[in-house]
Amino acid sequence: MRMLEHLGWRVVRADASPARTAVWVSASLLLAVLLSALLFEAAGASPAAAFAALLKGAFGSWRTASETLVAATPLIFTGLATAVAFRARIWNIGAEGQVFAGAMFAYWCQHGLAGFSPAIQLPVIVLGGLAGGGLYAGLAAILKTRFNVDEVISTVMLNYIIVYALSLLLLQGPWSEPGAFFEQSAKMDPGSLLPLLSGGSRLHAGFLLAVAAAAVVQVIMTRTPVGYEIRAAGSNLRALKVQGTSPARVILMVMMISGALAGLAGVAQVYGVHYRLKAGALTGYGYTGIIVAILGQLKPWGVVAAAIVFGALVTGATFMQVKTGVPSALIYAVEAILLLCYLAGWAAARFRLKRVAHAG
Amino acid sequence: MLADLFQTTVIVSLLAATVRIATPLLLAAIGELVAERSGVYNMGLEGTMLMGALTAYLAADASGSLWVGVFAALTTGALMSLLFAFLVITLQVEQIVTGLAMNLLGSGLSVYWLRAAFKGQSQIPATPIFDNVPIPFLSELPVIGPVLFDQKALTYLALLSVPAVWWFLYRTRPGLDLRCAGENPRALDIKGLSIAARQYGAVVFGGAMAALGGAFLTVASASRFAPEMTNGRGWLAIVIVIAGMWRPVPILVATLVFSFLDALQLQIQGIGIAIPYQLMLALPYVVAILALAVRRRHAGAPAMLGVSYRRE
Repeated sequence: MRMLEHLGWRVVRADASPARTAVWVSASLLLAVLLSALLFEAAGASPAAAFAALLKGAFGSWRTASETLVAATPLIFTGLATAVAFRARIWNIGAEGQVFAGAMFAYWCQHGLAGFSPAIQLPVIVLGGLAGGGLYAGLAAILKTRFNVDEVISTVMLNYIIVYALSLLLLQGPWSEPGAFFEQSAKMDPGSLLPLLSGGSRLHAGFLLAVAAAAVVQVIMTRTPVGYEIRAAGSNLRALKVQGTSPARVILMVMMISGALAGLAGVAQVYGVHYRLKAGALTGYGYTGIIVAILGQLKPWGVVAAAIVFGALVTGATFMQVKTGVPSALIYAVEAILLLCYLAGWAAARFRLKRVAHAG
Repeated sequence: MLADLFQTTVIVSLLAATVRIATPLLLAAIGELVAERSGVYNMGLEGTMLMGALTAYLAADASGSLWVGVFAALTTGALMSLLFAFLVITLQVEQIVTGLAMNLLGSGLSVYWLRAAFKGQSQIPATPIFDNVPIPFLSELPVIGPVLFDQKALTYLALLSVPAVWWFLYRTRPGLDLRCAGENPRALDIKGLSIAARQYGAVVFGGAMAALGGAFLTVASASRFAPEMTNGRGWLAIVIVIAGMWRPVPILVATLVFSFLDALQLQIQGIGIAIPYQLMLALPYVVAILALAVRRRHAGAPAMLGVSYRRE
């Protein structure tokens, strides 16, 4: 930095125009692709072949494309959950646990209703998912507003806690499958399952629900007083206080909306894909949702687009592993690299070199 | 069976296990203390520890030397935190988001690297682990000997880092400057001292310490790497720094409380007392929330923690 100043230049920080941001972000995403190519190389595969396999595995046919949408569904919910909270600059890292809470509360409400018609069971699981996720996130909100516990820490701790709670309920508890060895519930009642959208694919109604949720979040954020309060909490908390809105109420509201959205991801996985309640059906979506939200620029339709890209990564990676031998775990590294490069590019767009008069 | 818990031998092994289990938490927490004192909130500890655990294991397996493993972990931790430092100090990206991104990187990269390194093998090899290094005479003292002086070298290092960092922060000029970067960066700036240089140093030190803590999990206890094996220890280290009010000695005490819970859990399972193991495993996280809920508001936090310094 000092050397630059001797040369007559200074680094200044300024708001970036959309075009400038776009250029930097594109360049940084290109860097992410190059770094990912290095990882392919490291696993002994040709990057070109691996990328081709990834694409073919994700979009090669209607079956794989529909799998991509199935994989995108929970990520849309958790991405929206994170976007709503981060917009308000409330760092809800707990979508991971709220996914569990949503699925567990939905199951708790629904499993006594076996045999009832879908017209009764489906609303119960959706409302149960919303309530479970919302209440679990609400706990973190109250810990923040009443007890001053930072929400980053509390939500992460709650993520760990609920995994053990589910394990307890499934292994020794009332939800274990009678006579079974695995840590999972019995198979769901057919009347509780999210309907499939087309024969020959696993695409289920949860995907439509996710797109509808994105539309609702879009309307809430842009057209309602609630959305105004959320955006205001993110940019100017003092203005909110001046006009008499209680920050504690906004925090509780944002966290509960965020958690409720995450809870639906749990419902989609359990009642749309796995048809059993088990940890394996729910793990990882919350954390990936954070990346989806940021790459989607915290905007609902951006989240949907990013979730579909990430769904494609998940679906394509399985095919890639079979085809090229590159471990499918690669995509989790690629996702993180995408996020880091995006953050760097977005920030770098805000710096520029400016000619200054010589200091000497 | 409960009476078994109160026999001397059981108590001694419980306390010795507490000190052993404290090692990775203490290394990470002391490192994070230094970073946070300089004003940088590194939430990427969990991912850094994971990468430390993995690289220590891989390097020890490839070289046949455990110390090469330790060195690999230190290097990895320093490199990861250098990247983190570049993003949050130079580019001024939001510290919380960047820390999370580092965790996701550590989590994804460690699993991928492990799978890629042992492609097609159903089981990964075990490395030897560090032996205990009993300290002559002291290790023969009753109770105290086996608890404090019959541990592994990395455990002694972790315990010694507490007075060392205390001395550095409170008794040296560079330590004072470093704390100044977290409390009143403008004062440093006016004196013509670089804030960024001190923060880079503190963050890289913190990252290396966290990775060293991760290395302890593989080359000093498990002898193999397993995905997500840190299991929240990086996050607990952050909780410990807050609960310890950003001071070395209270941080040591908080670390011992958390490790005691863990050691107790192992002991209870060993004796076969019928408490569901999930309750015992969830306990540290519940205690972490309670510990933060009962403390005084922001007691001891550096004034400019998490805020990027910008010259007016």
